Amino acid sequence: MPDVAIQASNLSVHFGKNKALSDVNFSVEKGEVFALLGGNGAGKSTTLKTFLGTLEPTSGEAMVLGMSVADSINLIRSKVAYLPESVMLYGHLSGTENIDYFLSLAGIKRSPEEVAHALQRVKLQESAWHNALASYSKGMRQKTAIALAVLREAPVLFLDEPTTGLDPSAIDEFNQLISALSISGTTIFMVSHDVYGACQIAHRVALLDSGSIKGMFARNGAKFIDTEVVHSAFATRNL
Amino acid sequence: MGVIWLIAKDEWRYWARTKLALVVIIIGLVLTVASVVVNSIQMSHAKHERDHLQQSADKQFLEQPDRHPHRMVHYGHYVFRTPSPLSIVDPGVDAYTGTAIFLEGHQQNSAMFADQRQSSGLTRFSSLSPAFLLQILMPLLIIMVGYGAITREKEQGTIAILITQGVGEYKLLIGKFLALLTLGSMLLLPLLFASIYAIFVGESALLSGIFVLSYLLYVAIWSALVVWVSSITAKGQSSFAISIGLWIAFSILIPRVASSTAATMMPSAGKLESDFAVLDELRKLGDGHIAIDPAFAQLQANLLTQYNAESIDELPINFRGAVAEYSENQLTEVLNQFAETRMHEELSQAKIARLFGWLSPTLSIRSASMALAGTHLETHHRFLREAEALRFEFVQSLNRVHREKLSYEADINRYKDKSTAQNARVDSSNWQVLSAFEFKSQKPQQRLVQSFLYFLQLLFCLGFAFCLIGLTARRLLK
Repeated sequence: MPDVAIQASNLSVHFGKNKALSDVNFSVEKGEVFALLGGNGAGKSTTLKTFLGTLEPTSGEAMVLGMSVADSINLIRSKVAYLPESVMLYGHLSGTENIDYFLSLAGIKRSPEEVAHALQRVKLQESAWHNALASYSKGMRQKTAIALAVLREAPVLFLDEPTTGLDPSAIDEFNQLISALSISGTTIFMVSHDVYGACQIAHRVALLDSGSIKGMFARNGAKFIDTEVVHSAFATRNL
Repeated sequence: MGVIWLIAKDEWRYWARTKLALVVIIIGLVLTVASVVVNSIQMSHAKHERDHLQQSADKQFLEQPDRHPHRMVHYGHYVFRTPSPLSIVDPGVDAYTGTAIFLEGHQQNSAMFADQRQSSGLTRFSSLSPAFLLQILMPLLIIMVGYGAITREKEQGTIAILITQGVGEYKLLIGKFLALLTLGSMLLLPLLFASIYAIFVGESALLSGIFVLSYLLYVAIWSALVVWVSSITAKGQSSFAISIGLWIAFSILIPRVASSTAATMMPSAGKLESDFAVLDELRKLGDGHIAIDPAFAQLQANLLTQYNAESIDELPINFRGAVAEYSENQLTEVLNQFAETRMHEELSQAKIARLFGWLSPTLSIRSASMALAGTHLETHHRFLREAEALRFEFVQSLNRVHREKLSYEADINRYKDKSTAQNARVDSSNWQVLSAFEFKSQKPQQRLVQSFLYFLQLLFCLGFAFCLIGLTARRLLK
């Protein structure tokens, strides 16, 4: 078995009679960019929450870095990074202060040079580093959060609708960043309803509908996943 | 612990940058410092005035010329109680009951010179003691600063980032709690300095320390409650509304319910009703000014037998003085009986009301604070009893002078003319009957024992608040 970073085994989440997830199975290899695609109410956020330990599955198991979420959530949280849809760090702190604060919460020490290097790597303009985060755009906040993940050397990065609200150039920059992180060995798990964006960036795309995986698409040697195939499946949901 | 401190420090950084905490701390400190200073000045002034009045009252009493001894009984005498050192923080019931009593024959007067009674018009209820500010206003300040401690993280979306950085939910809540606790502790600084001052003027260091500690517990309870409310609500406005609701319940509603319950469970007669009841009982005793009152026939018979005399003229003592002494004895028994009943009722009511401290930290800190400061009802009752003992002793001493040093003949003829009036007097050297009145605070050990229950109530409230936090922590993101 190749190095598995994330795994869902017969994962089910029921809210009363409503089955948000039903026997979901997939695994994500280390360094892989994996996108979970689906429409509203498909179960994307529910899946993400089970991996972050904020939602207990009704049955089945969620594993991250070989550890069960049910048993080792605190250890898992100390290793992974999470970027919610609306990345909002502390508005009263500057970008560098946010990074310093969150790193210290995680018990990590980084020199100012290392912080500057990470911010340069995510291409956050230097003039904004010491401004209050409240004045940042979503893209700038996202870059700051990714710089934080880089500095934490988090082996797994969970992303929730990462490109929503970003302009095209910001999306391009984001995609480049994710690719670079993947190349350096970071596992990326993202949930999205943006078929095009997911196909551009992910090594594999899983299509989730009504709480079940309805299809899995890979690059198969191509540069990108075939958007048309995924889009067609996404539109018809009749795989 | 490192993560908890980091969260607390960042909360302070947030408050500092939004200027919120700074304004609240300044308001709180200014009010509390002003209140402690004003109270201290008032108390110091009152102490000098009391010492002066006590000396003046003693001097005036002793400087009275030769008189009929019963006139001295009615001339009366004041006694003053020096409040305990910690009453500069918590004047307790003193502000309502007063700390001076006029002692005279045939009467048990109420204490007087209460601050609240001396005030007039709109200022009557406006006195702000440091204890009032700390017990009632400080929770409001903690709410104003802390209601958004967790809801702000939820509304901004930073809570998910925090939790997924490996910050445990419990650590997050404790960090926020610690920030509020340190803020509340800053508001306690005037209390700390006042307690140190109290130690310098004679208060027990242990007791003063526990006094400060009980207020620290109170701050901790409110800090925990505010963080808990913030953790169970999604929006800041809901958190603020619920916290204010708790404040109203703890500071206004439960104390009122406690008083009403106590009054219902232990009903007591109103002043008019009890005054009439006392009068009814006193009428049965006879008037001690009228020696021939049938109520004293048995006394007369007993004295005649005792001294083997045919008539009261032959008695070696002044029968009128003996009647006055006997009458005062009888009257005091009745007055004491009513006074003890009234004090028992008051204390029973107070004890019932204090039990509500299990439901309201405001009530428990109030009870603990007054018990530790020595300004609770029990202290006032002790003052009344000790003052009454002094009153009885000095009145009976004068009655004994009347009985032993003034002849019956001169006494009954005192209104005939000027010379008989002159004869019906005793030498002023007989006025040396006043014992020095020195009311001492209860021993620290006794006050600690009395406050133990309320200290337990505070600990219970804190434990309960932490249980709530513990229960919520597991569900913070779920």
